[in-house]
Amino acid sequence: MNREVVKDIILSFIIVLSQLLIFNHMNLFGTLNTFIYVSLFILYKTSYDKTFLIVYGFIVGLIIDLSLQTYGVHTLASITVCYFRERIEKYSFGVNSILPLAMIRGTQITNRITFFLIIILLHSLIYFSLIFFNLEFTLTIFLYTLINAIVNFIIIWIISKLIFNK
Amino acid sequence: MQSIINSIFKNRKLIIYLFLSFITFNYLYNNSSVHYSGFGKTGTFISGSTSTIFSYINSYFNLRQENNRLIEENLELKKIESKFIDISGTKDIAEGKIDKTISAKVILNSINKSKNIIVINKGKLSGIQKEMGVISSKGVVGIIKNITSNYSSIISLLNTDLKINAILKESSTIGSLSWNGLDPRIVQLNDIPLSSSIKVGDTIVTGGMSFYFPKGIPIGKIEDYDNSSLEGYYSINVSIFNDFSSLSNLYVLERTDNDEIKSLLNE
Repeated sequence: MNREVVKDIILSFIIVLSQLLIFNHMNLFGTLNTFIYVSLFILYKTSYDKTFLIVYGFIVGLIIDLSLQTYGVHTLASITVCYFRERIEKYSFGVNSILPLAMIRGTQITNRITFFLIIILLHSLIYFSLIFFNLEFTLTIFLYTLINAIVNFIIIWIISKLIFNK
Repeated sequence: MQSIINSIFKNRKLIIYLFLSFITFNYLYNNSSVHYSGFGKTGTFISGSTSTIFSYINSYFNLRQENNRLIEENLELKKIESKFIDISGTKDIAEGKIDKTISAKVILNSINKSKNIIVINKGKLSGIQKEMGVISSKGVVGIIKNITSNYSSIISLLNTDLKINAILKESSTIGSLSWNGLDPRIVQLNDIPLSSSIKVGDTIVTGGMSFYFPKGIPIGKIEDYDNSSLEGYYSINVSIFNDFSSLSNLYVLERTDNDEIKSLLNE
């Protein structure tokens, strides 16, 4: 168990570092950002404390915010995703399903896609709503959310495959 | 105590989430100018909306004071207005100044009798005397008949005993206004000779040739007339401006030169 935790802490560091050093500087098609750190909240093991997940989301979000000078936008999106993750889990995989530890192996692919997509969409929606912070840009917010969520989904899906197929 | 701790423990996720959200919002508000102005706008909108609702509700509680304030203001305006009445210049007693107007509220009123009386809530203590003229914001109401310390009765225009000196505003032809006791909206103007030209809609104002009213206070307008009388006078029906069924605030006119003129007449 301790070995698992250490492994996950190291994995978190690697993902956060790669976000800071690589993905923060990538702007796909000029405007799109890739937030691979959201994969940390998706891949957070169900056996870990769910209350701690919110604090974990806060710490990760804050690090990203400090590096990108976004003053709490990522933090707010992250803690909201973390807070709702349990409900999204139940909605995606069913209330009574026994979830495997990392939710990657042993689950239906459609359930997994739903779970990934809802979390990424929610995160993107909060992020862009706070970035624009103006009702006049509602349509733009939805458009950016959709495109960004699709791109992030593909990247996070690939990352999850890389991590768990080792 | 145990149950409070239990409920806090049970909702710890929500509490932590709200706490961290608060910290983040605070950080966002203090550091980002976009969000600062955004929150500012929202704050202004909320405070503006709630203040509007509050003042809307609150205004109902202040209606009485507001009404009194308006009456006082109206009174002041009436005083100013009275200075401009009769500047046209026939030398009659109506040119006497109105020194004071006293506002009063109607406490008793009737329109369904032939001798209607109005009672107001001001009397001798407020400076009211017999035979003072009484008007409302729309025009002539009547003349003070009896007074007690705190109340006064008014012979209403809708009283068959009252005759008021009135003129046609256009031609200044003098007539006498009275009520026949039938329709409370219509009074009769008599003594206008057939030689003068009148038409329906002409305005009737006070003539000023009495102790009661200065010249030019509106009374009503010609509703219809009959010129078939053999006596050589029109029989004119005048629709009065005042709605006597809904009188509320009245003004009593005080004219200080009345005594002087009366003393002349008595000599």
